[in-house]
Formats: sequence, C-alpha cells, structure tokens
Amino acid sequence: MIEATRSVSTPLDVSTTVDVSMTVDVSMTVDGAPLRARVPARYLLSDLLREQAGAGGVHVACGQGICGACTVAVDGTAVRACLMLAVQADGTRVQTVASLSELEGETPARRDDLTPLQKAFREHHALQCGFCTPGLLVSTALFLSQHRAAREGAGARPGRAEILDHLNGHLCRCTGYANIIAAIESVLT
Amino acid sequence: MSAAPEKFGQRVRRREDAALLTGKGVYLADLIRPGMAAMRVIRSTHAHARIERIDFGAILHDPDCLGVLCAADLPEDIGKLPAMDLLENSAPAHQRVLAQGTVRYAGEPVAIVLASDAYTAEDLAERVIIDYEPLPAVMDVQAGSRAGAPLLYPEFGSNIVHQTAQRVGDPGGAFAAAHVVIEETFSFRRLMASPLEPRGAVAMLEPDSGRYLLHSSTQIPQVLRTELARITGVSLERLRVVAPRVGGGFGCKEAVYPEEVLLLLALRKFGRAVYWIEDRAESFSATVHGREESMRVRAALDSRGIVTAVEVDCLADIGAAYSLFSNTPGAAVAMLRGPYRIPHFSSRARSVVTNKTPLNVYRGAGYPQVTLAMERIMDLAAAAAGLDRAEIRHRNLLQPHEFPADRGVSYPGCGQVVYDSGNYPAVLDSTLEAIGYGGFAARRAQSTGDHALGLGMSFVVEMTAGCGSEPARLRLLPNGRLQLSSGITAIGQGSETTLAQILSDHLGVPADIIDVLAGDTDDSPDAPGTFASRGATMGGNAACQAGSAFVFEARKLAAELRGTRLEHIDWEGGVLIERAGRNEPLSLTSLLAAAEARNLAPTERLNVTARFEDTPVSFANACHAAVVSIDRGTGVIRVLDYAVTHDCGRIANPLLVDGQIMGGVLQGLGGCLFEALEYGETGKPLSQTYMDYVLPTAATAPRFILRHIETPSPLNPLGMKGAGEAGCSGAAAAIVNAIADALGPKIRVPGGSGPFTPALIRDLLRNAAALEDDSAC
Repeated sequence: MIEATRSVSTPLDVSTTVDVSMTVDVSMTVDGAPLRARVPARYLLSDLLREQAGAGGVHVACGQGICGACTVAVDGTAVRACLMLAVQADGTRVQTVASLSELEGETPARRDDLTPLQKAFREHHALQCGFCTPGLLVSTALFLSQHRAAREGAGARPGRAEILDHLNGHLCRCTGYANIIAAIESVLT
Repeated sequence: MSAAPEKFGQRVRRREDAALLTGKGVYLADLIRPGMAAMRVIRSTHAHARIERIDFGAILHDPDCLGVLCAADLPEDIGKLPAMDLLENSAPAHQRVLAQGTVRYAGEPVAIVLASDAYTAEDLAERVIIDYEPLPAVMDVQAGSRAGAPLLYPEFGSNIVHQTAQRVGDPGGAFAAAHVVIEETFSFRRLMASPLEPRGAVAMLEPDSGRYLLHSSTQIPQVLRTELARITGVSLERLRVVAPRVGGGFGCKEAVYPEEVLLLLALRKFGRAVYWIEDRAESFSATVHGREESMRVRAALDSRGIVTAVEVDCLADIGAAYSLFSNTPGAAVAMLRGPYRIPHFSSRARSVVTNKTPLNVYRGAGYPQVTLAMERIMDLAAAAAGLDRAEIRHRNLLQPHEFPADRGVSYPGCGQVVYDSGNYPAVLDSTLEAIGYGGFAARRAQSTGDHALGLGMSFVVEMTAGCGSEPARLRLLPNGRLQLSSGITAIGQGSETTLAQILSDHLGVPADIIDVLAGDTDDSPDAPGTFASRGATMGGNAACQAGSAFVFEARKLAAELRGTRLEHIDWEGGVLIERAGRNEPLSLTSLLAAAEARNLAPTERLNVTARFEDTPVSFANACHAAVVSIDRGTGVIRVLDYAVTHDCGRIANPLLVDGQIMGGVLQGLGGCLFEALEYGETGKPLSQTYMDYVLPTAATAPRFILRHIETPSPLNPLGMKGAGEAGCSGAAAAIVNAIADALGPKIRVPGGSGPFTPALIRDLLRNAAALEDDSAC
C-alpha cells in the first residue's frame, strides 16, 4: 500500500533519446572578429558568446527568453541569445554591446568614448545594477535605427507609446524605468 | 579631470556606469574559467516527504561525473544554516545544507552532482533516483497554526516557532471608550525580490596562498565568510570571500545559502574549482521569498477623528525554516502605528513554519505590510468619521516638537523604538500638493465613464542605518591616489559614487583621485554588509571618520618633514600648508616623494582604519500618493501619477536617492498589481518563469513627482538616514488606497496586497453590479 503512494522520480536517460554528444562546426563574426568553433548541437548562442567569444556583455538573467538582458543583434535583428542555438547563428554577423557605436550608426572620436545612447543612460541615471543594461542598449539602438530608416525624410520620431512598446521586451528590476524612458527620449531630441 | 571636489548634495553622475554601459562590469558569471566544474543541485520535487532512498546508480561510474554529495556524505556536525533572527523564545528551525531524512519544501537541496559543464551536470542529475515517501504538507498558515496540523518539526510540538507581543498604554480602555471601532483583515502574498542577476558562486583555491576563495553574488561577504568558517570548520585565516559586482539584491542575497556551503565542501572534497549559477526556474524555489503574512487589525476612533488605539494580530508564514533574516513580523509588533501618535497599542505576532521556501527580508522587510494595513485603516476611519482623508491623517500625525519620540515598544532584536527626527505634517502637505489633491475632485469629474479614477495616499516610517559598526580604511597609494576600502558591498545602489563624493567633500580633494574598494573580506574583514538602508549613512560616516584620521596622519608626517609642530600644519583641500612658514605647501604627491626620500614609509603611515560605531537606527519617512485609472471593462489598472515626498535626512546625492525611490515604488507596484508566488494544492510551486510571476514593465511606470524634505538625523555627524527602501515600503499602500477610492464606497476591496489583477477587479465590479440588481428587485 505504501508502495502505491510512493513517488519515485523517474530517471530520464537523455542519452537514449537525444544524442547529446553530437557536435557541429559553426562560424560567424562576433563584434567584427571571426569565430570558428565545434560545439554541441544543443549549445546555446548565449553560452557560445560568453564562453568562446569573451562577450561578457551578454548577460543571462532569465534564460527563458523573457527579460531581454541577453539581447544581441544577429544580422541586424534583435535576438535573445538564450533562445537561439549556436548552430542557428552559423554564418551570421553577431553584434553585442561592444558594437554599440556601429549599431547606433556613430563613429566615436575615440575608441573608449561612450556612444550617445550610453551617455544618455549615464546622464539620466538609467541604470543601477547594470545587469539588464547591455541587452537593453543593443535593442534600443536597433529600435532607433529602424525608426530612422523607416521614417527617413518624414521627420517623425518614435513617440512615447512606441518607446514603451519597445521597452516591454525588457525587464529592469532596479530603476523603475522612468529614467530609461527619459534617456531614450533625450537622444531623440 | 575635474579639479574641484564634489559636494555633498550634488547630483553627481555615477563612476560605476562607464564599465556597466560597455558590458565590462565583472559579475559572478564572468569569473567562470575553463576547467572549473559545474555543480548541479538536485532538489526536492515534494513539499514535504521522507527521503527513502537516494540512488546515484550508474552515474557514479560515468566518466563525466566529477563527484556527488548527499547528506550522508557530510560530517555529522556540518549542516545547520545560520539564522540571525532566532530570538530567545524561538524554536530553532534551521535549514540543513542538504536535506537529512526529510524534505520540507519543493526546491530544498537533496544532493549535488559535479560535471565539466552545466549541460552535462544537468543530464547527470536527471539520472539520479530519489525515492520519496510523501507526507502531508502545510501550505496554509492558518491551517498550519491550528492544533492537529501536520508538523514540520515534530520535536517542537507545533508549527508556531515564535510568538511575541507588546503593549503600550491601555488599549482595552481605549477600545471600551471608542466612538467607532474599525476592523480589517489583511493578507499579504508571497513575493520574490528576483533581481535580474541570478544567485551564483564560485569556489576555488587561491593560486598563491592556497586559501579557499569563494566569490559569491552576495550582499554580505563578511557575514558569509564568518558563517562559512563556522559551518565547515575552515579557519577564518584560510577563507576569503569576495562579492564581485552584484546585479541586484533587494534582500534576497542577504542570506547564507546551502549552495555557498556546498561549493566549499565540494572544493575541499574533490579538489577542484567549482561553480554554480541558479537557473531562473530553480531560482523561484531556491532563493528566499518575502512578505507572506496575514494581519488582523482593529482601531479605536474617538468622536474627533483621533485614533486612540490599534491592535494587531500577525501570523507570518516563514516557510520551511528560518533564513538568515526571517523576522519580518517585527515590523507588525513594533511599527504598525507608523507616523501616527496613537497612544494605546497592542500587538501579537506568531511565526509559523510551512512547506515553502524559507522567507527572508525583501526590500522593506515588513514595512510594506504594516504601512498598507495602517493606511487602509486610516482611509476606513476617515470614511467612518466623515472626515477628509488628509485631514484625519493630519489630526493623528506626530508633530515636529514631539521628537525624539519614544514609541514605548522595542523592535525584536533591534532595541527600543525612538523616532529620532522628522517633520511629518510638512511631508504630508508636500505630497498632497505634488499629486494635486486639492484639484482631484474636478479631475475625477472630467474622467470618462469607462475609466474610474482614484487617488490614494500612504505614509511610511521605517528604521534605517545602524545594524552594527562600520569599518573604513583610507590609504595613500604609491601612485598618489587615495584608496577607500568600505564594507558596503556594491549591489547597484551606486555606493562607490556616493562614498567617493562624501569623502571628496569631507577632504576637499577631487573625487577622481579616490578609488573605492568594497566586497572583499581581505580589505574589510569585519563589516555587517549592505542591507537595511544602511550603506550611505554608515559607510559615509565611516569614510569621513577615516578621512579625518588620514588628515591627522598626513599633518603629522608633514610636520616631521618640515621640522615643525603638528599644530602648525593645516590641511587645505589635499594640500598641507605650514602656517606662517616660508616653505612651499606640500601636495599629497610631493608629501609622498619627500617622505619616501627620507625613508619615512609614507604609504605605511598614511594607511588608516576607522570604525564608525554603531548608532541607534534612524527613522526615515515618506508620504506617497498615487492616482490610478481603472478600466471598468477590462479591469486593467494603470497608475498614472505617483508623488513621493521623502525625508531621509541630509542627502548626499539626490540623483541616486531619486533612483532608489522610483525603483522601490515600481517593486511595490508589482507586488500589489501583478506578483504572487502560486502553489498547487500538494505544494508544488507553480511560478517557474517570468510569464507566471509577472514583473512590472516600462509601460506600467507612472509619471513620478519626487520631492525631498531634509530633517537631519541627530544620530550621526552627516545627519543622514537610509533611502533604499522607503520607495518600496509605501507603494502598495498608496496604490491599494487609490484602487479603493476609484472603485468607490460600495465596493469592498479585499484587505491586503491582492494582487489586484484585471480578473480580480472584474470580479469586484461584477459582484457589485449583481448586488445592485438584487437590491433593485
């Protein structure tokens, strides 16, 4: 009787269902530098970038594709690196926060200069612990450049509603967002 | 290079930001190196069960498996995690590092597996068989506190592990004489701090010394080191703990966790560096929870709208064991009255163990609950007395001449409650003006029929600072820079900027010659850590004290070099000037060079430590007001405007204090509109992702109007009080009062933190409509 109510956690022998030892060769550029690696097929892009490309600005906060902290640009599109397999990024151009000046379409006077967006974040105290910040900067730079491209000549800028819509893809637990919104609005004026 | 010193009170931009904005901040995950083993923790899948068998089976022979541990592998005397809030009459409900025989919450560590990477460790962990015999679980604090409930610790004979009570004056007499008695029950849901950086730690041997080195994403590296030494038997001299940059804490990184102990034990047993970073699903049950308690509050009101007495009965759900700081009902027994005089008071609190993750402090540590309860009572009292909500508060507030105000109670474990200073009427008036209280009736009249507007206010008084003496060391480096070592760990609050700013102002030297170090027990071996809104006040005063000692030593050295007496040397903005002397003034760099030339060992002599002695806690206060709009169709609540007037004494950096307030308000907002940790009937945690546990997003941020009133604290030379928590502590109270105001007197909002989801609001509106139909029949 006791046996009947007893619960045994069933072992799941992954090796019998999926070949976890399968590896694939991938190549891509990460922040302009070529990267070639042989990786397990299930290896996440976020792990590849952090462990093999030294991209410490890719922050894994939720690993569930919700918070946006690990956002990078893959061929110019914002991607959550924790949701993409490394093999899916094969042959692409990956840009992290280290490429922010390119993503903003800015040429810094000096290599170590902050970009206009970074300066605005600092000026408006739009970061505290900084963990969500790099991913937020990458996707905001893409958001702003897409707007610039779409509205070339029209002179219209994204309004508050569009900025909020964009920011809904990111969680920040420290700032209360108001200063992030103010920082983004400041680079539009 | 800015030559001018930074001033106390300036909105200085942060020195931390350049690295963080470029992705160069070094967090825990950035310390993982190739060759380190990954630890996977195998956790209980049951809320309450006996462990019948742990079978590592085939993985013990799997070459990928680098080691396993379960309770049987631990020395007999290793195991109990510390609890600072075990008071004299507390039953010692300690969590074990690894469950021994019984698991008491889903998520409790049962065993660990090491492998060369996290993927493999997870695979191996899934092949371990654990055979559980389920036991009835206690998931509800009311049921758990009744006689006959299943017991988590049969040896205690009860799930109630602590009871406390206090009384001031004659509450019985006041209730007997009351014009009206208000009564309400409040239920506060289980929440999580959930900083975006997960918890994690790395244990390794220090290459040169062979000491154990633990990096952990923690708010309290010094306490962690002391406790790890005690638990594992490693001597303090052989153990160094470092907190790298911490990606948010809010209280949940203010505990000593099983994983930190396990990493050290694994390093010792298997002889290799090992790391662990929680994944998010794991975090929801592996990292401490916050807030959950229920309160029944009664208030006695006289005919003039004076609240003459309150009494509170609080039942706190502390989860399966004490965590490091689990005594959040301390706020209920000591601080419910907040800013109001209320001469008669009685309180009782019981802490109950349940089969859930241990509860710890979470930003506000009990104050969000007492503030919400007291402020709802004030609104209900206003309605009962036919008084304006601001007017009834004014009639009951402590007045400026009443400070210091001995409240006649003690905060369990923290001593007598004496409010040090404040100007509550001015703080209330400031917020009312900021939110447009006077014109709100007109604003409401203009709103459309589909949206109900409401305004709510709250007033929070909370203990800040204190909590142990604070060290600081200041030294002159060979390169001429000043290095401040502080015990205040950086968790995102900008302490490096604030401390450098305060020291720059104190010494009259440019802030950019000051480096600030924190988080390393080699630099600051003995410090309380970052919590209880104590960083700027305690760290700032300690820095000034070290600064003064440094100036003294520098003058002494200069006097020696110049062959004159100490009294003849002045310190002016980092320059040593011989009074009435003909010698050139000495800058720090020329002092260094001159003293070096004469073998006077300047970097050894200009290396001073100071300890800012513990002071009584100081009481910061804030008045919040929120305007909400409720969509009657969808039930969606939007907080439109949010005003806070905050008084945390003298403010070193208003830019950062404003940031603390806004961030805190949004956490408070999340806690009453979206967040609640849900459990299934059998005790399985249902919140596993940020889709189940919904955090506030940018679209939920209100328009903020922030103001400050600076009433200096008499308790420290800088006149400061803490600022980290008042934003969070008052927010749910103001928002819930605003929701009640929007819904109107016919709808009774449930007491407590909700969460006031659209579904709950639609239910309330539907029920009210049905009642109206009934009465129409």
